[in-house]
Amino acid sequence: MENLVLAATNSTPRVDFDATTGVISLAGESYPENAFEFYRPLLAWVRGLLAARDGAVTAEIALSYLNTSSIKSVMDLLDLLDAAHRGGRQVAVYWRYEEDNERAREMIEEFREEVTLPFFIVPQAG
Amino acid sequence: MNLFELKERLQGEGILICFSGPFGHGIVEELGTAVKRYLEAAETRKSAIIDVFSVYIEAAQNVRNYSDRRRAAGAPAGELDENIVVIARRDEHYLVHAGNVVDDADVADLASRLDRLARLDKAELKALYKEQMRRERAPGAGAGLGLIEMARRATAPMAYTFTPTVTGQAFFSLCIVI
Repeated sequence: MENLVLAATNSTPRVDFDATTGVISLAGESYPENAFEFYRPLLAWVRGLLAARDGAVTAEIALSYLNTSSIKSVMDLLDLLDAAHRGGRQVAVYWRYEEDNERAREMIEEFREEVTLPFFIVPQAG
Repeated sequence: MNLFELKERLQGEGILICFSGPFGHGIVEELGTAVKRYLEAAETRKSAIIDVFSVYIEAAQNVRNYSDRRRAAGAPAGELDENIVVIARRDEHYLVHAGNVVDDADVADLASRLDRLARLDKAELKALYKEQMRRERAPGAGAGLGLIEMARRATAPMAYTFTPTVTGQAFFSLCIVI
């Protein structure tokens, strides 16, 4: 399975999905013209990863701002991981944010409220 | 037209950024970057920067997506050009305004959605947001979260008007105070 790597743009995050290590990273801001189009191949890739191998999957997320259609797509991504976790897979989410960014923290907490998988919110010095 | 007078008028209204005309994603992005730079220089509260940026993005993308749907439905190009987005400062508050022509068929629904949002407190808005986030998205539609997101960031109920245009259509004008 190929890795999925995309450079960041003004309105899309850097994507680094590694099929060998099972680490999927997203970093930056996300408010593309069509978030559903942007996230569709990412979701398909993660589905493929979960089907292709049994190992642990770790999401390393550092998204600081998401528009609402990106929120919906990232929720879909977390739902996929949550379903895998409930199916017995080792899955964890680490979501980093700058510690003085209260709004980012609230957004991340609202995501965490929606899932049962291990979900760590990691403040970092701004 | 005297541009100096126009500029004075914009300044007098506290307008930081204003774009009037047809806009695509490139302009939404460019204005967004300009807004953020301005706020990062003028504003120390990080949450205020994100609130204004978020409301601006949702408002501008709503206008843009609605224009796209009307274009696909065969609306005349002239009407689609009548888009405007404004970011202003008044005392301790920021204001985001967005305006566009809407179809008569959409007026009542839009007004009732905004009236409903205006009656909800922050906890109720959060609950509604979560409920909408969990709803299946209709094909071709957005997430349906934009107005709720704006209402959550707003410090007062969102104000709106519908003004008849010369061609008899409704010009929708929305104001969000942050």
